[in-house]
Amino acid sequence: MYFLRFVGKRILQTVIVLFFVSVIAFALIRIAPGNPATLLLPDNATEEQIQEKEAELGLDKPVVIQYLNYMGGVLRGDLGTSYNYQQPVTKVFFSRFPNTLRLTVAMMLICLACGIPLGIIAGIKQGTVIDFVAMIFALLGQSMSNVWLAVLNIYIFAVWLGWLPSVGVGGMEYLILPALTLGYPLSATTCRLGRSGMIDVLREDYITCTKAKGIPDYLVYCKYAFKNALIPIVTVVGSQFGLFLGGSVVVETIFSWSGIGQLLNQAIGNRDYELVQSSLLLIACMCAVVYLLIDIINALIDPRITLD
Amino acid sequence: MENLLEIKNLRVVYKTERATGQALNGMSITLKPGESLGLVGEAGAGKTTTALSILNLLPRAGHILEGEVLFHGKNVLKMSKKELQNMRGHQISMIFQNPLTSLNPVFTVGEQIEMVLRHHLHMKPKQAEERAKELLESVGIPAYRLHEYPVQFSGGMRQRVGIAAGIACNPELLIADEPTTALDVTIQAQILELMKLLQEQHKTSLLMITHNLGIISELCENVAVMYAGRVIEYGSVEEVFAHPSHPYTRGLLGALPDMEKNQERLTSIPGTVADAQNLPEGCRFHPRCEHCMEQCRSKQPYPIALNHRHMVECFMYEGGDGQ
Amino acid sequence: MDKKIILRRIRHSRFMIVGAVVLVFILALSLLAPVVCQFDPEASSIAERLLPPEWLSHGMAGHILGTDELGRDVFTRLLYGARISIMIAVAVCCSAAVLGTALGLTAGYFGKKVDMVIMRAMEVIQAIPDIVLAICVLSLLGPSTLNLIIVLLIGRTPMFCRLARNNTLVYRNAEFVKASRSMGAGRAHIIFTQILPNITTPLIVQLSQAFGSNIMIESSLSFLGLGIQQPQPSWGNMIAAGRKFLATDPWVCFAPGVALMLIVLAFNFLGDGLRDVLDPKRT
Repeated sequence: MYFLRFVGKRILQTVIVLFFVSVIAFALIRIAPGNPATLLLPDNATEEQIQEKEAELGLDKPVVIQYLNYMGGVLRGDLGTSYNYQQPVTKVFFSRFPNTLRLTVAMMLICLACGIPLGIIAGIKQGTVIDFVAMIFALLGQSMSNVWLAVLNIYIFAVWLGWLPSVGVGGMEYLILPALTLGYPLSATTCRLGRSGMIDVLREDYITCTKAKGIPDYLVYCKYAFKNALIPIVTVVGSQFGLFLGGSVVVETIFSWSGIGQLLNQAIGNRDYELVQSSLLLIACMCAVVYLLIDIINALIDPRITLD
Repeated sequence: MENLLEIKNLRVVYKTERATGQALNGMSITLKPGESLGLVGEAGAGKTTTALSILNLLPRAGHILEGEVLFHGKNVLKMSKKELQNMRGHQISMIFQNPLTSLNPVFTVGEQIEMVLRHHLHMKPKQAEERAKELLESVGIPAYRLHEYPVQFSGGMRQRVGIAAGIACNPELLIADEPTTALDVTIQAQILELMKLLQEQHKTSLLMITHNLGIISELCENVAVMYAGRVIEYGSVEEVFAHPSHPYTRGLLGALPDMEKNQERLTSIPGTVADAQNLPEGCRFHPRCEHCMEQCRSKQPYPIALNHRHMVECFMYEGGDGQ
Repeated sequence: MDKKIILRRIRHSRFMIVGAVVLVFILALSLLAPVVCQFDPEASSIAERLLPPEWLSHGMAGHILGTDELGRDVFTRLLYGARISIMIAVAVCCSAAVLGTALGLTAGYFGKKVDMVIMRAMEVIQAIPDIVLAICVLSLLGPSTLNLIIVLLIGRTPMFCRLARNNTLVYRNAEFVKASRSMGAGRAHIIFTQILPNITTPLIVQLSQAFGSNIMIESSLSFLGLGIQQPQPSWGNMIAAGRKFLATDPWVCFAPGVALMLIVLAFNFLGDGLRDVLDPKRT
C-alpha cells in the first residue's frame, strides 16, 4: 500500500519532469539562430518560397500553437521527420539505438564484474594492501577523461599491440575498446562507493549485533552488510546506465560507433531540428524511466524509503 | 560448582588519534551457571567493553593488553574464528543497548531471528519461520508481524525482537547491555518483567549491565560495582545494598531517593567520572573520595573479603576494621 | 572541529599533500607560462611541424615536448591550455557551489511548494545528460568561453543543490535550531548562522571533487570542437588535433592527455584528503 503510493507519486513527478524537458527541448530549437525553412531550400530561394515553406512546416503560427501541435504528434507517436534522413525520427533513432544499448550493457557488465566486487573487498579489508591497490585503481580510473582513455586504449590495443580494430561497428572485437573506455571510469566510481559504503555500514551497531549472533563473516559481509551498502551503488550505477542510454557523444564519436550520441552530434551539426528536439525528448524519457526504476529498486531494498 | 564465565585481570585500551583510553584495568568477575549478576557503574566505567570482550567483539580501536576471558574454562580471546562463531549467539548471546540501531533496517525482523536458528540449530527455512513466530509470541509480539521491518516497530517492540533473537538458541549466558536505557519508563518495566520470566523459564545465566540500581535489585542475585575499569565492590545484592562498603557504592546508593526515610535531600558523589585517558594514580576513586588516605594516592587497593559473600577494594578495610 | 586535529590529519594525509603539491606546481607553471616559455602558443611554423620531444636536452629553449602538426610548441600550448581550463573550472565550480547551495538551502528550509519547484527544476536538468545539454546549447548559441561557462554551470548546479537540500533537511528540525527559533531567532539568522555552518563540510568536499570532473567535461567539449576553439590551445582540442597523428607522432596526443590525467588526479587526491580530514565520524 505504502509502496504503491510511493510509486504513484514518483510516476507523477516523472511526468512533470518530462513535460518541462519537452518545453526546454522545444524552446532550445526556437531560440537557436537560423531559420529551419531556409535550410531546406536552395540558397537562392525567394522570400515568397521561404514563407511558403514556413507555412508548410507550421512555423508561421504562434509558438504555443506550434508546441501544442508538436506535443499532439508526440502523444500519437509521431515525433516528426528528420530533414536530413527524410525519415520519421523514431525510425532513425531506433535504428541507432541497439548499438548504444550494446555499448551500455557492456559497460555495465565491466562495472558489475570489476568495480563492485573490488570496492566491497577493499571496504572489508580496509587498510590492507588489497585496499591500497583498489584505491589506486579507483583514483586512476576516476581521473581518466573519456577522451584521453579512448586515445590511450586505441594507442595501446590498436596501434601498438595491434590486437583490436581501432574504430568502427561490428562484432565483439569492435565493442571491447569503447566498452572499456566507458567501463573503467564507472568501475572506479562504483569501487569507491562500494568501499566507503561498506566501511560506513561495518561501523553500525547492527553489524556488531549480527556478528554477536555468530553469523559467519562471509554472510555478514556479503548478505547483511552488502544490502545496506547497495543503495548508493544502485543509484549511481543506475543513473549512469540511464545517462549512457542516451549515448556517449565523445566515445561514440571517437570510435565511430554509430549510436545515439553520434547521431545527436551529427544532427546538431546538420541543424536537423526535429531530430534533435525529439531525440532530446526520447533520451530524457529513457533517463527519467531509469531514474524511476532506480527509486523503485531502492525502495524494495530499503523499506524506510517508502515508510518514512 | 564450575564457573560458567571467568574474567581474569583483563586490561583493554582504546587507541584513537587523539589519545589512548584505558577502558579496563584489571577487570575480574566470575559467573556460575544459572546465576544472574548485575554490573553497575557510571557511563565510561567499562561495562560495554566488558560485554564485548566476552564475545571477543571489540571494535578495531580496542586492544586487549592482558588477561583472560574463560567460558567453560576455555579462553575466548584465543578461540579460532569457527569456535567463536559457534559460541556467539548459541551459547552466549547479547542484547544491545539501543534497539533503534541494533536491528538491521533492510531485513525483516523475522530474518533477524531466523538467521540465528538456521545457522546454529540448522533449521530449514520453513521450520525456522515457525519457530521465529513462536519466539515472537513468547516476547509478546503477534506472529503476523514477522514479515515487517524494524522501522515499523516502536523502540520497546524492537527490544523485544532483540530479546527473541537473543533467547532463540537457549543460550547458557545472556548478556544484556543496558537493555532498557533507551526506552520509556513504562516500557522498561515490561521488558524487565519479560526478561525475568524468560530467565526463570530457561535457567539462563544473566549478565545484566546497567547504571540503574533498581534493575539490579529486581533481577539479580549478585552485583559487581565497576569504577574506571575495575570491579571495586562485589557481593550478593542483599549484602551490598544493605551494607555498601566502598565509598563509591555508598555514594551511588545515597544518590537514590528512599521512600521510607524522610531525606531532606539526596547525596551526590562530588567530582566527575574518572577520565579514561588520564586516570589518577593509586586508587582511581581517590580524588572524589571523602575518606581518602595517604596510601590511596599512590597505591592501587587490592580486593579484601569482608565476608564470604562480600568483597571490596578499599584500604579502609585493611586488617578487618573499618566500618 | 578542533583546528589542531585538522592540522594533524593534514600532515598525516599523504594523498592530500601529494595532490596539493602537484596542483601548486601546475598552477605556478601555468601562471608563469609567459616567462617560462619561449614560444608563442598560437603561431605556427610549418618548417618545424611534428618534431619529436627534445626533453631537456636544449634546456627551456628547445621543444621540450615536441611540436604539433602546425609546428607549435606542445609544452607552451600545454601551459596556456592549463590556464584556460583551470580558469573555467574555478569559475564554474565556485559559482555552481554558491548557486546550488543557495537553492538547496531555500528548498530544504522552506519545504513544500518551494522545495517541489526547485527540486523538479533540478531533475529536469539532470534528465538531460550533461554533455548532451552542453552540445545542444553550445552548437545552437555558438561556442564561446562565456557560453561554455554558463552551460557547465547549469550542469554542475544540481548536485550542489541536492546535497545542500538533503543536509538542510537534517538540520532544519534539529534541537538547536528549534531552540533558537523558540528564542525568537529570525529565518535569515537560522539559515545563515545555524544551518549553513553545519552543511559546509560536505559541500567543500563536493566542490574539490567537482573541479576534476569539470576539467574533464570541458576537455570533452573542446575535443568535440564546441569548447575552446583553435588556435587557442586547450587540452581537449590538442588531443583532437593530435588524434590523426596518433600512430606516427603520439606525443601530440599524449602530452595533453597525461597532463589532463595528472591534474584531475591531483584534484581527486585533494578532494579525498579533504573528505578524510574533515570527516567528523573519524576516530
